[in-house]
Amino acid sequence: MITVHNLSKTYGTRTVLADVNVRFPAGRLTSLIGPNGAGKTTLLMMIARLLAPSQGDILIEGSKASDIRIADYARRVATLRQSPDFSLRLTVEELVAFGRFPYSRGALTADDHRAIDDAIAFLTLEPLRGAYLDELSGGQRQMAFLAMTIAQETPCLLLDEPLNNLDIKHAVQIMRALRRLCDEHDRTVILVVHDINFAANYSDHIVAMKRGRVHCAGPVREVVTEAQLRELYGLDFEITHSERGFLCNYFNPSGELE
Amino acid sequence: MRMPIPKISRHAIWAVVIALALTFLCFRSGLDFDYVIPKRLARLLAMLIGGVCVAWSSITFQTITGNRILTPAIMGYEAVYLLLQSLLVLIMGTQSLVMLGANGNFALSVLLMLGYSWAIHRWLFRDGRNNVYFLLLLGLVLTMVIGTFTQFVQFKVSPGEFSVLLGFSQASFGKAEPGQLVVSAILVAVVCITALKTLPTLDVLALGRDQAVSLGVDYQRTVRLYLALIAVLVAVSTSLLGPTAFMGIFVANTTYALARTFRHRITLPTGCAIAIAIFILAQLAVEHVFNYRTTVGILVNLVCGAWFLALMVRTRGTA
Repeated sequence: MITVHNLSKTYGTRTVLADVNVRFPAGRLTSLIGPNGAGKTTLLMMIARLLAPSQGDILIEGSKASDIRIADYARRVATLRQSPDFSLRLTVEELVAFGRFPYSRGALTADDHRAIDDAIAFLTLEPLRGAYLDELSGGQRQMAFLAMTIAQETPCLLLDEPLNNLDIKHAVQIMRALRRLCDEHDRTVILVVHDINFAANYSDHIVAMKRGRVHCAGPVREVVTEAQLRELYGLDFEITHSERGFLCNYFNPSGELE
Repeated sequence: MRMPIPKISRHAIWAVVIALALTFLCFRSGLDFDYVIPKRLARLLAMLIGGVCVAWSSITFQTITGNRILTPAIMGYEAVYLLLQSLLVLIMGTQSLVMLGANGNFALSVLLMLGYSWAIHRWLFRDGRNNVYFLLLLGLVLTMVIGTFTQFVQFKVSPGEFSVLLGFSQASFGKAEPGQLVVSAILVAVVCITALKTLPTLDVLALGRDQAVSLGVDYQRTVRLYLALIAVLVAVSTSLLGPTAFMGIFVANTTYALARTFRHRITLPTGCAIAIAIFILAQLAVEHVFNYRTTVGILVNLVCGAWFLALMVRTRGTA
């Protein structure tokens, strides 16, 4: 379990995150939602230790994140940022192999090869194994990066807008994979996601943020309500339930926008 | 699937280097083992050291900055070197050459460049800040400031002294003394052995800061270590040979095109071989074709520049 304690982040006089207290339950899929500039990514990046907090602590299984060596931390928490951009010419397999760096520091063992194979099989990427990343579509690339993060075999995964720029089928594929990571492998998954419907249908837990504070947090049924979402986004929502799950309709809100 | 084809060309390039080295040693030497060949051996050693320095520093620098059109020259090391030489000549005249001696000048240059890099790293990375781009910007601005200052100094000196300065501003293998070569070789060997153990970390660094950190790389420590190692390499090669500014870009990009892999375990040795081969070729041309009427620096920049342009146009930036 990850607990965030009085966490703040300020740049000069500008506060992006103010006194955030929130818990992310273990073995569950938690979505961070909220309008732009709410501090979702800032919070996620601080949990990933890519950004240093101005104040407060992050506790991971009871121990302070800042006390853990960064090399050990990489065996507990894996992070995937929005489609990283670099000019390396890499195959999918070589990329996934990077996920084993925290364990083998470059010299792959038999166990590493097993983990790489597992991660590739988990996302059914075998046909693309030898393909170069720059020859893949955006969705395939994102899957390859996710496979690297999975190969890291950490109890916790952090993902920053993994559905960005993906078509709906790839988005469903990614969300299903994340769901299976929680259900079948008991991993804790925390992701920033903008599509409220994906958040509502695939998460166990939702943390809604607004203007650098936690607006509300809890199980999906408590957070995804018309009243809460209206307050969060300043939009009129209509939420319908069916056998297939939630549908949050905000496309044609009644009345004027604030 | 593990790319067996480049392996052949990687070995081929070392064969080319050895052949070139032998040619350089023996061609028109009359097999004179008392004078000609030992002299050539010293120049060859200077080229080996210089090649390793240029290739190693450029490739690691490009990995750290995530940019393929940079060389460590942008940090202002060579500008500091030229400023030192200009000031020496301005203050002491050509007397400085006699007073310091070649070894004194070499030691002073190395120490000054190391001191310079220590100062800017220390100042920039104080209280845990870590912005490589800011470092680049600062280096670029300092290069220009120091360069202008050097020009100003050069206007003040006499034409005779100016021609001495001009000698310092061009790379040359002839001026290195055996003592300097030994010291340089030891320094470079220490750097390379230190770096050798952490080459996979360098591979991860190429994925960018965020990905490297989430794969457990202590980014700040690693980048500082490599910048320090690069400073040593550049200080050694500049003091030994003179500025080689443009060559690093060419060597690094040719290496990527030939090696076709991101692994530094392969790109670094290949890069060294390419740099050494270029140096030997240029020196051969200077000695036997142009009869010392041109310099290695000019030849290298001319040929590398043309070849690099051709490469860019043909492969449209995938190099």
